[in-house]
Amino acid sequence: MIYQQLINGLMLGASYALIAIGYTLIFGVLKLLYFAHGEVFMVGAFVGLYLVILGGANIYVALLGAMIACAMLGVIAVYVSVRPVAKNRPLAPLISTIGLTIVLQNLAVYIFGGQQVGFPETVKQELYNFGPITVSSVQIFILAIATTLMVVLWLFIEHTKMGRAIRATAENHETAALLGVNVNRVVLITFMIGSGIAGVAGVLDGIKNSGISPFIGLGAAVKGLIVMLLGGLGNVPGAMVAGLLLGMIEILSAAYIGTTERDFFSFMILILILLYRPTGLFGTRMTEER
Amino acid sequence: MLDGLLDGYTRSLLIFAGINVIAAYSFYAPFKTGQVSLGQAGFMAVGAYASAVLTQKFGMPFAVALIFGGVVAGSIGVVVGFPALRIKGIYLLLLTLGFAEIISVIALSWDYVGGAQGFRNISFNPFTLEYVIGVIVVLLVFFARLERSSLGRAMDSIHQDETAAEVMGIDVVRIKLLAFGFGAGIAGLAGALYAHHATYMDSTTFSIMLAVEILMFVVVGGGSTYWGPLFGAAVLNAIPEFLRALREWLELVPVEWTNFYPVNRAYDFLHDFLDFENAKRLIAFGVILIVMMILRPDGLLTRDSLRWLRLPRWKVRHA
Repeated sequence: MIYQQLINGLMLGASYALIAIGYTLIFGVLKLLYFAHGEVFMVGAFVGLYLVILGGANIYVALLGAMIACAMLGVIAVYVSVRPVAKNRPLAPLISTIGLTIVLQNLAVYIFGGQQVGFPETVKQELYNFGPITVSSVQIFILAIATTLMVVLWLFIEHTKMGRAIRATAENHETAALLGVNVNRVVLITFMIGSGIAGVAGVLDGIKNSGISPFIGLGAAVKGLIVMLLGGLGNVPGAMVAGLLLGMIEILSAAYIGTTERDFFSFMILILILLYRPTGLFGTRMTEER
Repeated sequence: MLDGLLDGYTRSLLIFAGINVIAAYSFYAPFKTGQVSLGQAGFMAVGAYASAVLTQKFGMPFAVALIFGGVVAGSIGVVVGFPALRIKGIYLLLLTLGFAEIISVIALSWDYVGGAQGFRNISFNPFTLEYVIGVIVVLLVFFARLERSSLGRAMDSIHQDETAAEVMGIDVVRIKLLAFGFGAGIAGLAGALYAHHATYMDSTTFSIMLAVEILMFVVVGGGSTYWGPLFGAAVLNAIPEFLRALREWLELVPVEWTNFYPVNRAYDFLHDFLDFENAKRLIAFGVILIVMMILRPDGLLTRDSLRWLRLPRWKVRHA
């Protein structure tokens, strides 16, 4: 039984991790709590859904389409709610991205309606038995996509020139600019990557829950924030591990304690981390408080 | 008192707008010391549930329950405020957000207060509007006095630079805690008033989106003066009603004036545009928020604009 629950936790955790990676990347380079990230996730799910329903696309095309659409949305977000906003007021960019959150969520309600929409079966449902545990093809598919994305991203950040520029910008804007990094471009690319990954996470979430609604963004945003803190602000591998950890904790507490108490545990973790380990479980390079 | 003057709809509208004004002041109090809270909806929930338990389960009169709701929320505010003293900025934002979510989970799972079915049949208070106006007047007088007092100036100085304030001999811990607890208490009052007007609530009534709206009232109105929260909440509550009234006037235009080609298109467009259901209202709010942050990040009313307007103020003694 416990192995089965751990597999389920891994599944949930993988989507948390994908959302938190975007958060933590963006927080890293901008020191900005980017509230609209959950809505990007929701938009990704809808783009994927419409590509499948209207375009008759297969799931890989839907994933790619959602990724590209969300990356573009990330660029729009930078130009609308980050760049023009006053820099000398710490609250201003936070509030403008809250504004963007409200706009995106309600545009989705306006266009798609406030109800839950079913997600068609795009991955053939088969069950495999490994001794005592049962794994479905959908679960394997989601885990495979999530793992691939995380590995590619990790390689990108650690081993490419752009990845190094992102790390340098996260460390210190001025120094990075002095060393010849185009900080504005780095910020833009970070938003594109983070938003693209959130888009994929949205589609995966649609496949997993076989239904999406315009309101899934807020919950995803909050869970992503918890994971970001748990992993350490700006710490990408930390976010990956912390996502899996939170997924397991939630599934285990839902299985052995109760489904309503599940959120109680995640928010208690949030508060305890904030009070006793603000650097997260795996440390952070961020020292500045805002 | 106000029964003869207002129909039920206007009355209800004013009550909800007034409760929003009170909630905006609950955000303003800790914000005056630089603490940004996304947990005010959670404190509203505490006040609402505490007061409703008192009136429903113990048969207490509303006035007692209102004060009880405020006191309970205020005490919990101090309890939450203690650990919150250690952290700032986005950490505090997340802490208060987590607190509000925990309150909502408790409301969902505690059957004594209705659990998943929600808290039903709370006794209706027919004088909510009078209470709301009374509370707003008290708050306005209080914050007007505070702005020119030594405590108010101490709060402003903490907002601007905490270290400098501490060096000047200001008891930063005590004042921040006071402001946080006081804000929570005001939120509790707003919650108690809400509960006894709506007569029903559940764990989703006081959501994150409500906390965000409360923040928005202060940000749009202006967080640097005590008129800001009142102004922001009033304006944002009035906009949809104003557009609705415009639409009704538009419908009074005789049909024969508009039923030929170019005019009818324009008429239909305008008519649709003013149809302000919730999603459109919130989209407009979001756009306002972004535009505000670009053009007037300090809010509509700032100290400078007040000086220009010469709004009533308590006498200033320049040092």
